Amino acid sequence: MNDVIEHYVDQHVAMRSGLPGNSSEWLQQHRQQSISAFEKLGFPTVRNEAWKYTDTKLISNKHFVIPEPAEISAGAIDQSVLDAIDGIQCYRVVLHNGRFVKERSILPDKEAGVAPVVSLAEVIEEMETTISSKSPFNDGLQALNQAFLADGVVVRLAAKQALDKPLEILHITSGDRICSQPNVFLTLGEGSKAVVVERYVTSDAAVTWTNSQTRAQLEADSSLDHYIVQTSSAKSYLVTDVEAKQNSGSRYSARTITLGSGLTRNNLSTHMLEEHAHCDMFGLYSMSGRQHVDNYTTMIHGAANCSSRELYKGVLNQRSRGVFHGRIKVEKDAQKTDAEQSNNTLLLSRDAEIDTKPQLEIYADDVKCSHGATIGQIDKNSLFYLRSRGIDDVAARSLLTFAFVNDVLAEVEIPELREYLESQLISQLVPGEEVA
Amino acid sequence: MLSIKDLHASVDGKPILKGINLEVGTGEVHAIMGPNGSGKSTLAGVLAGRDSYEISAGSVEYREQDLLDMEPEIRAREGVFLAFQYPVEIPGVSNLYLLKAAINAIKKHRGEDELDAMNFLKLIKEKAAMVEMKQEFLYRSVNEGFSGGEKKRNEILQMALLEPYLSILDETDSGLDIDALKIVSKGVNALRNEDRSMIVVTHYQRLLEYIVPDYVHVLADGRVIKSGDKSLALELEEKGYGWIEDQAAA
Repeated sequence: MNDVIEHYVDQHVAMRSGLPGNSSEWLQQHRQQSISAFEKLGFPTVRNEAWKYTDTKLISNKHFVIPEPAEISAGAIDQSVLDAIDGIQCYRVVLHNGRFVKERSILPDKEAGVAPVVSLAEVIEEMETTISSKSPFNDGLQALNQAFLADGVVVRLAAKQALDKPLEILHITSGDRICSQPNVFLTLGEGSKAVVVERYVTSDAAVTWTNSQTRAQLEADSSLDHYIVQTSSAKSYLVTDVEAKQNSGSRYSARTITLGSGLTRNNLSTHMLEEHAHCDMFGLYSMSGRQHVDNYTTMIHGAANCSSRELYKGVLNQRSRGVFHGRIKVEKDAQKTDAEQSNNTLLLSRDAEIDTKPQLEIYADDVKCSHGATIGQIDKNSLFYLRSRGIDDVAARSLLTFAFVNDVLAEVEIPELREYLESQLISQLVPGEEVA
Repeated sequence: MLSIKDLHASVDGKPILKGINLEVGTGEVHAIMGPNGSGKSTLAGVLAGRDSYEISAGSVEYREQDLLDMEPEIRAREGVFLAFQYPVEIPGVSNLYLLKAAINAIKKHRGEDELDAMNFLKLIKEKAAMVEMKQEFLYRSVNEGFSGGEKKRNEILQMALLEPYLSILDETDSGLDIDALKIVSKGVNALRNEDRSMIVVTHYQRLLEYIVPDYVHVLADGRVIKSGDKSLALELEEKGYGWIEDQAAA
């Protein structure tokens, strides 16, 4: 066994009896099977087709520490991290290094005696069917997350229930060589509705690793707007893994905005299991320095008459690198599927790189599937046009760059969040420049 | 205002301008006519600072400064304006934003106070009315989905707002119907005064019925081969370009 795998297995042995719900035999078993799977799978390497363009060595060559539950303290979180999005009215769950921090959270009231948002640790023992019905692991990182499954948040909406405000789930990772592994479960009953913002931040400049999982179950006619907002420090590493399952007539809309982290890998997949479901996946990435972002998306059309729309746009500067993988699978019975996918990237420097790969697997014969990818530079004619109107070169370039990704930002339907993201993006594109 | 001396320019090593001489005095309107490929648009582009040309010889003096030494944005701030033959569509940038950024860049350069949102809106609505542009066009992305006529009107709107000393209109009449031509001309004429000069580049005489020039120059094969007053344009309309080219070759 290699030394780094042993490092995590040893931590597992030391910690497992103290993890929440350890008296449940099924949970003990689940964690044990998961750590065994991790031992076998290890860290993904570029030889693994799904990780061909993303080398996890930067993560696997460090010995991260998974914190004990007792090590988390509510006082350690700076209020400014919580209030970063000016003026937003929302419920909030703070997950610090993967642990639910009730003191800093703002939770919706109980409805019909049931709390819609609770900590995972509190209810983990009741979740056997959800947790043990998880699909087999795609890679070692999923297994590692489950081996240490302990805390996070569970959102359960009853039929027809609608959250009256967005719910922000704030993932804060801090502390040198800390690995946080939160779990988020979103269960939307029939016809229910929620807007969930998962925001990933680091509250210091330490080297950290966040390895999170989110599972969403959308019952018939439910609707989930899911924002994944990533602004962690460039010293941190971030792996997110989101899987949605959609029943008839449900609508899942994901928007993944990556503006931070040294290395980010976002696995995002949905499985439309019944007819008339719809899924949107929008993504925006802006990277510079040696940052790396890999969006690995999977859209499974498993039933007839479902539709999906996917648009990822990004800006890569300096020596940064982007990867986009867009898999669309249309199963045999999924007739009348309507799927659309595109990925457009602006390369601002000679040394930036994008690897973009559509992967369409179509087993039905009456479907509409389109995909496209563009890679470009700032348009010279547009640049000259702006300069000929008196706007200087730097401002004109930032304006055109901003305009390029603006249609993805326009899909952000929470005005305060959109403004926040705009200002973050602008300060990245040109420090000190303001774009109206 | 503008003094062009023996200007040579080429694109990808191919000479296009082969020794242009042109003097434009303050308050004058000069028309530059010529057959396709004669170098008219190249001349307009060189004056505005488009960087796809190599300038191998000659000089251009603008208001006692070396124009060729200035970046395009500095030329604009110093009062040079090019109305594009093919205005660029810029999705994601609102027309209003562009207009505001442009006027404030120029005001700042001149040491004047920048316009606040309210005064800017008042001014722009006034100018938009002059070129009969509906206000909704101000809020749309720059030229995106505009018809040919709307794009040209948008150019004149920008010109009216920025009040340049030297305006260069590159085939502003192309693709315009007669009504649009009248509106555009009205906008241009409103700017004419003793402090401003204009260079009107056109293939056809038609535009010059509405924007009456003081001088007409004929460009062929990268040189000015004939200059005259507005009657030259009428002569060209009648006889075509062939006779002048023959005359020049003789």
